[in-house]
Amino acid sequence: MVDGACLELAGKHETSREGEAERALIRRAQRGDRSAFDALVRLYDQEVLRLTLRLVRSEEEAQDLYQEVFLKVYRSLGRFRLESRFSTWLYRVVTNVCFDHLRQQKSRSELPARAGGDGELDYAQALADDRPGLNPEQALRAREISRRLEVALRQLSPRERMVFELKHCQGLKLRAIGELCGTSEEAAKNSLFRAVQKLREDLSDLV
Amino acid sequence: MNCDDLEITSPLYLYDELGAEERAAFEAHLAACAACRTRLEEARRLRRLLSQSPQPEATPELLVRCRQALDDALDHEQLGWRSLLRGWMWQFSAVPATHAVAVLTLALFGFLLGWTLRPRARSLPPVAPGATASSFVGPDLGDVRIRHISEVAPDPQSGGVRITLDAERRVTLEGSLDDPRIRQVLVDTMRGYDNPGIRRDTLDALRTQRDNPAVRTALLYALRHDANAGMRLEALKTARGMQWDPDVRQALLGALEQDANPGVRVAAVDALVEHAQEEGMNETVMPVLLKLAASDQNPYVRLQCQAAVRKMEGNE
Repeated sequence: MVDGACLELAGKHETSREGEAERALIRRAQRGDRSAFDALVRLYDQEVLRLTLRLVRSEEEAQDLYQEVFLKVYRSLGRFRLESRFSTWLYRVVTNVCFDHLRQQKSRSELPARAGGDGELDYAQALADDRPGLNPEQALRAREISRRLEVALRQLSPRERMVFELKHCQGLKLRAIGELCGTSEEAAKNSLFRAVQKLREDLSDLV
Repeated sequence: MNCDDLEITSPLYLYDELGAEERAAFEAHLAACAACRTRLEEARRLRRLLSQSPQPEATPELLVRCRQALDDALDHEQLGWRSLLRGWMWQFSAVPATHAVAVLTLALFGFLLGWTLRPRARSLPPVAPGATASSFVGPDLGDVRIRHISEVAPDPQSGGVRITLDAERRVTLEGSLDDPRIRQVLVDTMRGYDNPGIRRDTLDALRTQRDNPAVRTALLYALRHDANAGMRLEALKTARGMQWDPDVRQALLGALEQDANPGVRVAAVDALVEHAQEEGMNETVMPVLLKLAASDQNPYVRLQCQAAVRKMEGNE
């Protein structure tokens, strides 16, 4: 089983009362209670959207993935057993959906890399970075780093990308990541190592 | 552990994935090898760089769009054959497989028995008068979403059925913002509804009514307590146009001192400076500005506070 890292990193330190409330929601949703399902979605959807957005870096694609994830959950919730943690099960669905998407994206040779294209709007560049405290020079550098990072991340294989995001951004343990990705902890370690090596090579002049 | 091992394990070290023994061996080699220390420092810088670069964040607007699209997709899903099949399957998923097989066998046996013994030549009895669709009692269900069914009671006498359920109906209210009923719904929405996109639309609708006491209270409540920083900022912008009084001043001061978002704090500085000439500003606002000009954790907020202090002092 995946350890509790997923849940904690989703910002939800589950108390027994919250756990029982969630299980009650799941039971009602399994019986077809739509409002219970909606409440269940609201518990996790911000975190799911954040993860999908980080992985695909496109609002439109993230919205599609969000919908695909929760429709899959809705369709298969009847098969969910309450002995396991809902968050773990949900994250497995998210991981599978994102992984398939990244694989398809990688295999679609007609799609050029987004960043560095000839005039194509790069999502990273379009990100407003108007944090107070950033002067124009810092803001420009932040945009440049973001653009370069976007390019470097797109060079990773889907598995490396997934492992890297789950480790670096979500802070999950490699054992949990292995479980979520349907692979071993050792394979997740190797993927993380390769991802970091590639990023180091691509971004060496910025370090 | 040698230099090659260290190279391979350095990401695991930085991401705190080494066991105690491996970590000790790693650090022992590091203490003795300057080249590896340099490489690890590079790896640390890379990690910092990756952490500092801005990440795409899900905006409230995107979340609202996602939720609405999912809601529509689920509505569509509920009308489809999958939903019926799933409901049926769910009944069976709750019982052990052997019981399910037994139930299915019995059902099949019953069906075959019934089929064998069915009346061959007799036609079905005519429907009793009064038991047709015209006997329907209840509200029109066209725009109702069923939340909970508490009873389904077939009546063998009439061949009908009585269903007791809780339902929610979509209603549309239209009216002037001057109508207190409309205003009350909007005020309640802004204070308590969990969808930030709708709260934002509500705030926009109420903006012109900002000097109405109930609206004013709701706007200041949003400025102080709304969970969404974008909403607090919008409430603050609206508060700038309100009739100035100690309540508004106190709400803006609260935002300046306590809001977690530096953008809101900066907007509060601007709003307070606009009213630098108002009575009581020097006694209440100046000390806060001076304190934050020296100690706010955000450098931009500190700068803005310093500028505000200069401006207010210039006005004296």
